[in-house]
This record gives sequence, C-alpha cells and structure tokens, in this order.
Amino acid sequence: MRGFGRFLIATLCGIVLAAGVHIVSILATPYQAENDAFVKVQPTLAADKAQIISAPGGSDTWMPLPDPAVVVAACAFDLSAGPMRVSAPIGPNLLSFSFHKESGGVFFAVTDRAAVRGELEIVAMTARQLDEARAAEDENEPSRDVRIVSPEQQGFVIVRVAAPTASQRPQAEEAAKAVSCTTEQAE
Amino acid sequence: MRSSVSAFKPVPLRSIPTAFLIVYALLLALGLGLGSTYLVLKGDPPFGSLSIGPWKAWPNLGSTSADPYMRAILAQRGDVPLAIGEGLGFTATTDSGGRALDSACTYRVGSVAPTARLWTFSVYDQDGRLLQTELGRSGFTSAELLWDAQDTFTITLSRGLQDGNWLQLPPAGRFSIVLRLYDTPGAAGTGLTESVFPSIERVECGA
Repeated sequence: MRGFGRFLIATLCGIVLAAGVHIVSILATPYQAENDAFVKVQPTLAADKAQIISAPGGSDTWMPLPDPAVVVAACAFDLSAGPMRVSAPIGPNLLSFSFHKESGGVFFAVTDRAAVRGELEIVAMTARQLDEARAAEDENEPSRDVRIVSPEQQGFVIVRVAAPTASQRPQAEEAAKAVSCTTEQAE
Repeated sequence: MRSSVSAFKPVPLRSIPTAFLIVYALLLALGLGLGSTYLVLKGDPPFGSLSIGPWKAWPNLGSTSADPYMRAILAQRGDVPLAIGEGLGFTATTDSGGRALDSACTYRVGSVAPTARLWTFSVYDQDGRLLQTELGRSGFTSAELLWDAQDTFTITLSRGLQDGNWLQLPPAGRFSIVLRLYDTPGAAGTGLTESVFPSIERVECGA
C-alpha cells in the first residue's frame, strides 16, 4: 500500500498544482493574447481621428458578433507622451465613449447625454498628470475639462455611434470619423 | 515469517521511483491546469450571468468589476464589450420553452422590450456571423420596427415570407439572437424582469 499511497499523494499534488496553473494562465491571458482588441487597435495609435473598426452593416470586421446598426471606431492611447483629449461633436444619434485598459476591462464610459454645448469631451490622464494639471491650474480660471484617471498608461477608446435606420448609416460613419483623439502637450 | 513477507512483498510497489512520481505530478498539473483554462476560454464566462427567460447577459463584462475569467475570455475572443454606461447585450440561444433555436422553425418574438434609448435585435448564425440571407437583413432596431396601436411589436422569424416585421432565416442550422439595449436608464441590470423582455415563441417546425 505504500506505493499506492505515494501515487495518491503525487496525484493530489498534481491536482493542487493544476489549480495554480489554471489561475496563473487565466490571469496571464489578457497580457499574452496576441489577437485581443488592444493589439488590434494599435494601428490607430498615431492617428488624430478615431478609426472605424466595424462599419455599419457589420461586414468585414474582426469584432465578434458585430451590431449592424452601430458604427464602432477606436483610438489607441499611450499616456506616457501626455494626457489624451477625446472629443466629438454630437449629432442626433446616440454616441458613446468607453475607455478600456490594456489588460482588458472598461474603466470609464460616457454617452452623449453628458455632452456640453454640443460637444462631448473627455481628457484621460494618469494620476500623476492629474496632479500636475491641478498644480498648474489658475485658481481664477478653473479648467472645464472633464478629467478621468486611467489606471494604466496604455489602453484604447471605443466610440460607438448608432444608426437607427439603414439610411442613417453614412451619417453615423461620418460622426464616428469626426471624433478626434489628440495627445495634449505637457504645459 | 511475517517479516519475510513484509520485506518481500512491498518491493515491486515501492519501486516506483520518486523522480517518476514528480514528473507524473507535474505533467498532471500542466495537463489539467491548461486543459481547464482552454475549456473555460472557449465558453461563456462561468460566473456573474443574468438570465431572464431565454435571455442571458453578463452585466459585469463591461464594468471595472469584471472578474479574471471575463477578462481572459474577452481577450481570447478579441471582443470589446458594451460598457455598463453604454448599454447591455442579451443573448438568446433557446426559445422561451428552452428548446434550441433552429432555422427550420418559425418563431414569433414580442411584444415588449425593456426601456432604452435604442435597442437592436440581431440574428447570428452558429459561427457568430450576421445572418446572410437573400434579403440582406439581419436585424431590426427599435426605430425601424413597425409598432402596433398598443405600442407593442411582433418580429417573425421564418424561412417563408411573412407580413409585418419579418426576418428571413437561412435554410438550415442553429442561430442565436442578441438584443442590445443602448443607453438604458439607471444602472443596467436592475429592474429587468421577464415581463419586460420579449418572449420567443416557437410557432411551428418543418415545412
């Protein structure tokens, strides 16, 4: 029975280690995945405007289960060069921004209901950049920027514009292309 | 005599070398660990689902409280979820009676939907592609539907021509329906009960 006992202990050790392997591999997947959304939107990093990743109609896109009535555009950002300002003129149709981390997961989302004077504008920055911006601010003239803190340096913004009817698709596409994502130069 | 038995008999069993047992344990750990990860990543997130009748959603998928399984599955799929403030997507793969959606059947979907600024109703084939039919229509939005006088609607899914809100189904195969609610009032996931969701009734099969 000693041999069987040793075998049993080895099996139990294997199962316990397997749980560890499982946890580590699940946690590592968002960083290791080679075709996740973060990797796919990297070509948009240099552009000043959001780039369409899923045109209305839902054809020709890497997004799984695309919604044919919604245009999806993306802007990758890297805050090491400075905060990023995302701004869009709003139209009659639903427009929303969602901010995603490199490691997956949303950290902020807003729809055009939050727009001020026909413009939806958000500045994403790191916690340090926010401190600097506050310190540099003129007390008599407080900034009107809506600032959000990004938990990671890199990530991407997803812009969604709805086209409730098929005839509004070109208009929605134009609205998505009009979204600008610019890096703010440090003052 | 007793000692001779105990000295003789355990030898073949004890002869499993420790090195072999260590290799066995490590291989078992790798196989089980990676195998279970692979199986989980291929499926739906195991925790945090919200089921309402045939409709299923993962409200935390687009929030900061997404669990590691959700993040891993999203990364694996290359998907970008709807964030919690943008909306929520519900998927149905069965009818209200729990039977798998089959394009050989006729379905009637209605008659109410949860309050949202806009909702879309899209049909996908079993590989996750938008439905491809001769008519080129793969879904409806709440803005283009025909509503009746009571502010209710009926969408008919069938292969043959129907009047009203008709979506043509492909000749064969399973399909799934995704109902996406955009800009829902209040926190998504609250106040959603079966009575405000459309039911999916199977009318007939075959033909």
